[in-house]
Amino acid sequence: MFELCGSMFKKFLILSFIFPQCLWGQVYFVKDTLSATGDSVVVTATRSERKLSNLTVPVTLINAQTIQQTGSIRLTDILKEQTGLTMTSGFGAGVQLQGLNPDYTIILINGEPLVGRTAGVLDLNRIALGNIKKIEIVKGPSSSLYGSEAMAGVINIITDASNKTPLEASLRMGTYNTKDINLNNGIHSKSIFYQGFYNYYSTDGYSIRPNSNNRITTPINRLATSQQFKLNLTDHANILLNTRLTDETIKSNIAVSNGGVTINSNGKEHNTDANISATLNYRFIPTFKTSFRSYLTNYISKQELLTISGAPYNDLLNHLFKRLENQTDWALSKKLNGIFGMGAVWEGVKSSRYDSEKLRKENTIQYGFTQWEWTPSSKLIMIGGARFDKNATYASVWSPKLSMLYKMNSFHKIRLSIGQGFKAPDFRQLYLNFTNAAAGNYSVFGSAEAQIVISQLNNLGQIGGLYNNYFLLKALQPESSTGMHLSWEWTPNGKTFFSAQLFRNDITNLIEVQQVGTYISGAQIFSYLNIGRAFTQGLELEFKQNINNHIVFSGGYQYLETGDKDQIAQIQAGTVYTRNTNNVSARLTMSDYVGLPNVSKHKAQFKINYNNEKGVFANLRILYRSKWAVNNTNGNQVYDNGDDFAQSYYTLHTAFGKEFQHGIALQLGCDNINNYIDALHLPNVAGRTYFINLKYQIKQKPQK
Amino acid sequence: MKKQLLKITIVLIASIQMVACTKSETITTPVVTVSTKVVKDLIADTVLGIAANGMPYSAGKYTFYSIENNEIVPNTDSASAKWDLAFMSTRILTNGGSSGPALGGGFIFTGLFDDLKTISADSIFKTDNAPTYAITAGSGKGWYTYDQLTSLITPLAGRVLVIRTASGKYAKLEITSYYKGGVTLPVSASDAEKLTKQRYYNFRYTYQANGSKTF
Repeated sequence: MFELCGSMFKKFLILSFIFPQCLWGQVYFVKDTLSATGDSVVVTATRSERKLSNLTVPVTLINAQTIQQTGSIRLTDILKEQTGLTMTSGFGAGVQLQGLNPDYTIILINGEPLVGRTAGVLDLNRIALGNIKKIEIVKGPSSSLYGSEAMAGVINIITDASNKTPLEASLRMGTYNTKDINLNNGIHSKSIFYQGFYNYYSTDGYSIRPNSNNRITTPINRLATSQQFKLNLTDHANILLNTRLTDETIKSNIAVSNGGVTINSNGKEHNTDANISATLNYRFIPTFKTSFRSYLTNYISKQELLTISGAPYNDLLNHLFKRLENQTDWALSKKLNGIFGMGAVWEGVKSSRYDSEKLRKENTIQYGFTQWEWTPSSKLIMIGGARFDKNATYASVWSPKLSMLYKMNSFHKIRLSIGQGFKAPDFRQLYLNFTNAAAGNYSVFGSAEAQIVISQLNNLGQIGGLYNNYFLLKALQPESSTGMHLSWEWTPNGKTFFSAQLFRNDITNLIEVQQVGTYISGAQIFSYLNIGRAFTQGLELEFKQNINNHIVFSGGYQYLETGDKDQIAQIQAGTVYTRNTNNVSARLTMSDYVGLPNVSKHKAQFKINYNNEKGVFANLRILYRSKWAVNNTNGNQVYDNGDDFAQSYYTLHTAFGKEFQHGIALQLGCDNINNYIDALHLPNVAGRTYFINLKYQIKQKPQK
Repeated sequence: MKKQLLKITIVLIASIQMVACTKSETITTPVVTVSTKVVKDLIADTVLGIAANGMPYSAGKYTFYSIENNEIVPNTDSASAKWDLAFMSTRILTNGGSSGPALGGGFIFTGLFDDLKTISADSIFKTDNAPTYAITAGSGKGWYTYDQLTSLITPLAGRVLVIRTASGKYAKLEITSYYKGGVTLPVSASDAEKLTKQRYYNFRYTYQANGSKTF
């Protein structure tokens, strides 16, 4: 089935504009999410509240019920079950969206960005789900109004102060002595809403590699809390105050291998993530409103390790981010809505991997954006928008977007969007000053300082040679992506939902690590250059079918092609080589080229859901991912069929439970029922695990 | 219609005859005298153990090899013209310059072994001049890459070592593996295995005994 889809993909691209029914009919996976048919309200796609059915771009919406019924407790748990999203491991759990690395997806909580990335990855395990109202996922260029990092997409996690019970408590126990305790409390009156959330999570971690002291997931203690206030000052104005704090301690055991010799280090890692935001919303008249938002977040990560021989290894990262923003919404007429916004960001990072951990590297950004929504008829909505980012350390960027929704009739909808996104060079790419004493003494210098640092080293007589790349070093440009999405949604009746989406992203100015020289000792020196060009393209299918009032089938499938354009040019020129089965060199052909590493061609999930009036629910979920390239083992710098792959796999998950009277609910679940383990490539996938969850909720009297 | 068919038949017959002609011509060309030899698991200073400081150690000795005779040359003949190549871990010496008394030299050609039919006249042969060598050493610069993450050494595909032997004749050589048995270890192999099974050269070469640069 998958192979068939693969070979037909190019035809799909050509034929897609006429949507031949026969082709779609061959594929039976599709829209997951217990979401897409209800007419929910979404804010992320347009930066304003819009009904899902009126959006010009496809949005995945995950509601609280889905999160609860799947037994998800961390953000990773629920994202991995979404079409087109793949979890990555290494530097925490990141999300790969439509084939693009975690660096390119911005993670927002109530519209405010989280910071504190390691090697571009924001660890999604940081985010507890116990107080989440919904998660909105916007893929592709329509996310361009969010600025840097929103090149692949936006994941916006929305908590809500105004829609909770006075008290809710839950306790969950699971395999590997995993505990998750949640407490939600709320106070509601006409003018004040308060919602408090407390979460404690701990696990002993696990070791799925036999005969190894190394724990794949190390023991963790994590405390998270958030407080939300909403004050209705008048009928026209309200104030929102949000705070959030996550504090985690991880017992670390790191093994560094160098020249075949492994050195173990033990110690702990302590991470703190704090955010505070204050928002004032003021409505002058029903058609004109404005909001002022202020936000501050600080992420501090400290690693304190000792090698077996007693040598200390300490690492510090301190990222401070402040933002002020104003957005004004103006409905000029029933057919024309406008948004204007502007803001300023101040950002600073201290790291022991920069020249001095006491000096904070800083950047300031000023930005403005506007968006216009035009509804010429009941069948057509068009949105155009643009954002301009001006900053101190890299070139300014325009991010335009254009999208439209055409409702052919009540059964068919077509959406088309084109836009540009970018990712600014991050602090690591600008200021890293790191020599890895544990592995061969190689150095990496950020591009902003590389030439200065290397010429100083040269004066000291430490440089053995400079490569041509050294002379090409200059101020980094932001990485830029142009994306296109075309989708078709079909709702033939109230029970069936089907959608098909084609996408293509062209990325230029990719920032890549390149060797720029060597030390006298021969150890390598690296820095960052804008050199790469790549693309990702594919097809996403989603479906949902209500069998009866109790049973729902749903599923999704993604076909994905990726490639490095420069490598493709080299392959076509016949200058890339590989080895055949006898280890003899041969010219690499395009049919053996696999594109970017860590990307699977096929990904699918299928879900059966049961719910009844008595509060009983049950679900069975299957997640599938095809093989992906992990290592370039035949030494040609290009990922091809001769390289090292992680095998394709599937995992089975189930959860079931019942809500009793008096607000008590019980849930049981089992993840990875088939006990799939690949310790090397999937350290985040534990073997089979079980959990039991007990919840108590004080039922709120229905409000009149 | 019939006429057309006839025409096609004539063209077909003509083309078959043409093919037949070219075939008979190739038979008249001189028979190639060179043959390709395969060398398996040539030991190149294999690792003996792990020292107290945690680093692997070995005897630190080269293995000398005669391309002309396709055999190992004893270390006592290191100062003679009896050897053409010497191997110690990833370093390869040619018998000339700072390495030996003879006429040896070489360079690395980028392309396929079979495609290298004649060494072009403008090729520049280098001689060893320690610490630089005719067969360039270092990850990614010469004939192999070393992956810091996996600790594996992989011969670069599409690299041919063009050798001038001790007696000034020519050979082309492709290294196929650096590991015992000619199979590059999987990434998941243990550190110990990665150490003990490396430094085994597997290669194939073609030697032209008549002194010409054509294979």
